[in-house]
Amino acid sequence: MNLAFAMTAASPALLSIWLLPLVGAIVIWTLGPQLRRNAGYLGSAFVLVSFALALANFGAAGNATGLRAPLVTWGPGFAFGLQLDALSLLWTLVITGVGGLIHIYSIGYMWTDRAIARFFAYLNFFVFSMLTLVLADNVVGLLVGWGLVGLASYFLIGFWFYKPTAVAAARKAFVINVFGDIGIMFAIFACYAATGSIAFSDIFAKAGTFSEPLVLAICIGLFIGAMAKSAQVPLHTWLPDAMEGPTPVSALIHAATMVTAGVYLIARFAPLWNLSPTAQEMVAVVGAITMVTGAILGMAQWDIKRILACSTMSQIGYMIMGVGVGAYQAGVLHFFTHAFFKAQLFLGAGLIIHALGDEQDVRKMGGLYRKMPFTFAAMLTGTLAIIGFPFFSGFYSKDAIIYEALEHGHPILFFAGALTAGITAYYMFRMLFVTFFGSYRGDVPDAMLAIAPPVPGAYAAHDDGHVEHAPTWLMQAPVAVLMVPTVIAGYLTIGGESSPWYRYFGTLFGHGGNVAGVPLAIPEWASTIFVLVLVTLGIVVAYLRYGNPPALIGAVDRLRGEALKMPPVLAHAFYVDALIATAIVRPANALGGAISRYVDPHVIDAGVRDVAWVAGMLGALFRALQTGLVRAYALTIVVGAACFIAYFAYLGTAR
Amino acid sequence: MIAALVVVPILAGLALYLVPRSAEHLAKWIAVAIAFGAFALAISQYGAPDESLRWLSRPFAANFHVGLGKGPSFWIVLLLTLSTGCALMVTRVPRARDFIAQMLVLLGAMTGVFIARDLLLFALFWDLMLIPVFITLVAWSPTKSNATAWKYLVYNLVGGLALLLATAAYGIVQGTTDVIGVDPKSLATISDTWALWICLGFGFAFFIKTPVWPLHTWMPDTYADLPAPMVAIVSAVQSKAGLYGFIVIGLALFPGVMHAIAPVAFVLGLIALVYGALAALVQDDIKRVVAYSSLSHLGLIILAIFSFSPIAIGGAVVYIVAHGLFSAGLFMTVGEIELREDTRLLSRLGGLGGRNPKLAGGLTIVALAALGLPGLCGFAGEILILTGLYRAGFVWQTVVALVPVVIAAAYMLRVFQGVMHGPEHDDLPEREDLSLLEGLALAPLVIAIVLLGINPGPVTHLDTFTRSVAAASAQSTLAILKK
Repeated sequence: MNLAFAMTAASPALLSIWLLPLVGAIVIWTLGPQLRRNAGYLGSAFVLVSFALALANFGAAGNATGLRAPLVTWGPGFAFGLQLDALSLLWTLVITGVGGLIHIYSIGYMWTDRAIARFFAYLNFFVFSMLTLVLADNVVGLLVGWGLVGLASYFLIGFWFYKPTAVAAARKAFVINVFGDIGIMFAIFACYAATGSIAFSDIFAKAGTFSEPLVLAICIGLFIGAMAKSAQVPLHTWLPDAMEGPTPVSALIHAATMVTAGVYLIARFAPLWNLSPTAQEMVAVVGAITMVTGAILGMAQWDIKRILACSTMSQIGYMIMGVGVGAYQAGVLHFFTHAFFKAQLFLGAGLIIHALGDEQDVRKMGGLYRKMPFTFAAMLTGTLAIIGFPFFSGFYSKDAIIYEALEHGHPILFFAGALTAGITAYYMFRMLFVTFFGSYRGDVPDAMLAIAPPVPGAYAAHDDGHVEHAPTWLMQAPVAVLMVPTVIAGYLTIGGESSPWYRYFGTLFGHGGNVAGVPLAIPEWASTIFVLVLVTLGIVVAYLRYGNPPALIGAVDRLRGEALKMPPVLAHAFYVDALIATAIVRPANALGGAISRYVDPHVIDAGVRDVAWVAGMLGALFRALQTGLVRAYALTIVVGAACFIAYFAYLGTAR
Repeated sequence: MIAALVVVPILAGLALYLVPRSAEHLAKWIAVAIAFGAFALAISQYGAPDESLRWLSRPFAANFHVGLGKGPSFWIVLLLTLSTGCALMVTRVPRARDFIAQMLVLLGAMTGVFIARDLLLFALFWDLMLIPVFITLVAWSPTKSNATAWKYLVYNLVGGLALLLATAAYGIVQGTTDVIGVDPKSLATISDTWALWICLGFGFAFFIKTPVWPLHTWMPDTYADLPAPMVAIVSAVQSKAGLYGFIVIGLALFPGVMHAIAPVAFVLGLIALVYGALAALVQDDIKRVVAYSSLSHLGLIILAIFSFSPIAIGGAVVYIVAHGLFSAGLFMTVGEIELREDTRLLSRLGGLGGRNPKLAGGLTIVALAALGLPGLCGFAGEILILTGLYRAGFVWQTVVALVPVVIAAAYMLRVFQGVMHGPEHDDLPEREDLSLLEGLALAPLVIAIVLLGINPGPVTHLDTFTRSVAAASAQSTLAILKK
């Protein structure tokens, strides 16, 4: 253990940043029934104070060691503590900043829910867990945060626990994430066995001495965790289902913060990844596959939240690809910009869902821009940012990732990234046109739109009294605030290597990967224009299919036709769920059934009975003793024990 | 004073029959006071010197020698007294006075197992602790047949017999049985043949008691039939007697034999780990889910002990206590559920969470600890054990042992969601949420689950006693390497 760290006193500011949301969660949980709606204000206040403290320590966190706070020590090498350095500060600001805004929004969104206090207790608990994840100075502490955010996510996906779909979605998310956890556990064992410590500083200090296969094994373990948490193919299937949770939860956990934890993990372990080009290649390729898959799935969704969930998957794919090719600053920048624009998109979608009385199917919307101009403005800015429209934040971060993929020698990933940008533009504008233009279809019967009737027994709309009413300022104000960074966050990188963004991180990530001579290299402006051409193409196709006047007039027929013609492979999301069920879930249950119905009673027990039968003497004895009288049995035991004791007592006295 | 931990509960249990049958509350509160009194006494005796009385000198020396120390004995006695006190608080069975008397005798006998410093005393308490469980199985079983009771007794008496024979043989060979916790270097070495047979005798008893696959089939039946308060402490503590025995007797006295049988134990432990988890996945009776999950979790502790890694053995002690806390909590909450809904079948339960938020909260925490949520006690034990296993070179075994972690999440959520979530069932009776008393009975376990999860350091702390265990196993490793 490093002596210098042990001697550093705990930073009270850091402890407060970390613990305030936990205090909030406990207070709200305990006083919930009394607090009612005040729980929302209280919860928001705890998170925003935490944000203010983090902001106040911006300078202190930026220096070489950052702020530190040692916590507990379990034993040799198992020392736990917190650290606030440049990378964790960035995440902390987003978690508490965007998190604070979403808290305020939620007060309006959950206004009429009976369990509003429970909601805010969970939300504060989530913020605490996420801070644990990013502030831990060791890999076990990180895993604790990793597990706790999974738990918070589980609670909030299943918040309306009387809905069977929500319960199933919550369980799926949790179990898949535990699968990710064991990957990280494996990495912990390997790191500890190699260094005798769980502290990041010790692991990175000795990383240079690791053998190549060891680095690869650790990276694979960590990446399994990242894939589960960040919804990378094939561990992505829980994310679209997670939209069963209330919309602010989707915005905070399943878009802005928790699902980007995989990006944090890879950026945090940059010193290890830099040592293994194979591991980097693996990350980049999986990220690219997810990026493309998410975008393709995004084209085939009708539920507004599922469209956004697929786009989240795809955008995280970009981030993972970015950090995978060694473009850490660009990947982390895309996390930063995405946190704003995706939160804004989800909160905007929440305004629509709230106003329409829990309608989420875009086919039942249409023409909303006249009724909801503010929401339209919010969704439009968000969309322009996510598709990388020039001078919106996403433009800077996405372009940087796509170009750096080429720069680091991955032309295929470059083309995949550019193509995905085009698809993104298509499905996002599809959503905008179908939702906001044409005429309102809310009163069109489901059958005319080929909307499948609900499964028998499924839970119908919940009874917490959401009635159609205009969003209050509580819900609009956070969206309005988010619009600012959605537009400008990318300007931080203007100036390339000497921009504030690159100077902020300095040498934190070390030298990322192989910037070798690339034969296909083209200047950055050419890459940008190439991407923009594809983006424009995507918008034009969306306009022709959904946005031009004839398409808008015949929208009902057109949407019905499209729903009926949806290719099964897309409707079933490439059959990944079915594959997991067939390959893992059903065999495990079948084995369990075989054990408890056949092996235990008829093999093992029978074997034991045979042994007993062979011991015939014993059997005969038992038959004679089986008088069936309980008292006789009890008496036998007591007498036996008494004889036993008396015998040894006799031996004792006769010494 | 340490001896009082054994003597008082047993005598009080017998004396309880003098209380009138109708004064059930009096009997209950006397018993609760004794259990928590024992808890307080045990804390005050942390690291206190051992107490010993001469017992036998022929055919070998044996003493009434008891001690708590600062190691596993101390922590397990805390676990035992705490979980017994909590379980007694919510005891509601027919003929409660008699049942509570059995609980007290069980408390005293089990304490005896964990504080005995003499092998003969250990064996005596080992058999003594079967009696209250057997009587309870016979007299309070929900079924008419006594099959479960006999299965329990025959299995455990066969183990007890092996234990007694091994103890006697050890006494004759070594001349004394007062050897638990003694520095192994001060003992005369015994011949390899004797060591092998004696250790196998102990090991057989320990394997049955834990239980280890394939000697486990008595356990799900026993757990399903015992009333909730007793199954809580039987699963929390009695099932740890074998594991504790492996640590303080096996590792300390027979390190060579333990090394020799380690490959077998590893295979059995791994099978138990996966087999129990898979079986837990499909049980309809919640108690059987917990029973099979115990088979799985205790398999992990077997791996830890036979890895001879100090980190893993420290983790094993943590996990012994952790498993005790959450399995006591699980069985107590299952008892509350059964009391309310008159069933423990997952196929019939559902939707309780809306009406019973406190019960749901309690079940959440114990279930999360059981599935190894990072931050709670189950995780602390698991991560230490697995880290130690990996570090000791058991890489692929560690990878196999990770699989049940995922299965545990699946079966624990199946239980939790199956009971609490989903739409409310109309055919289930509507009963009150947890009462204040029921809440207070769960609270100490929940607090301990959280505290142990945050800092298991003191429990892994190797005192002189466990240090000698580690030293002994290290020595014998050297000896084996030299051969």
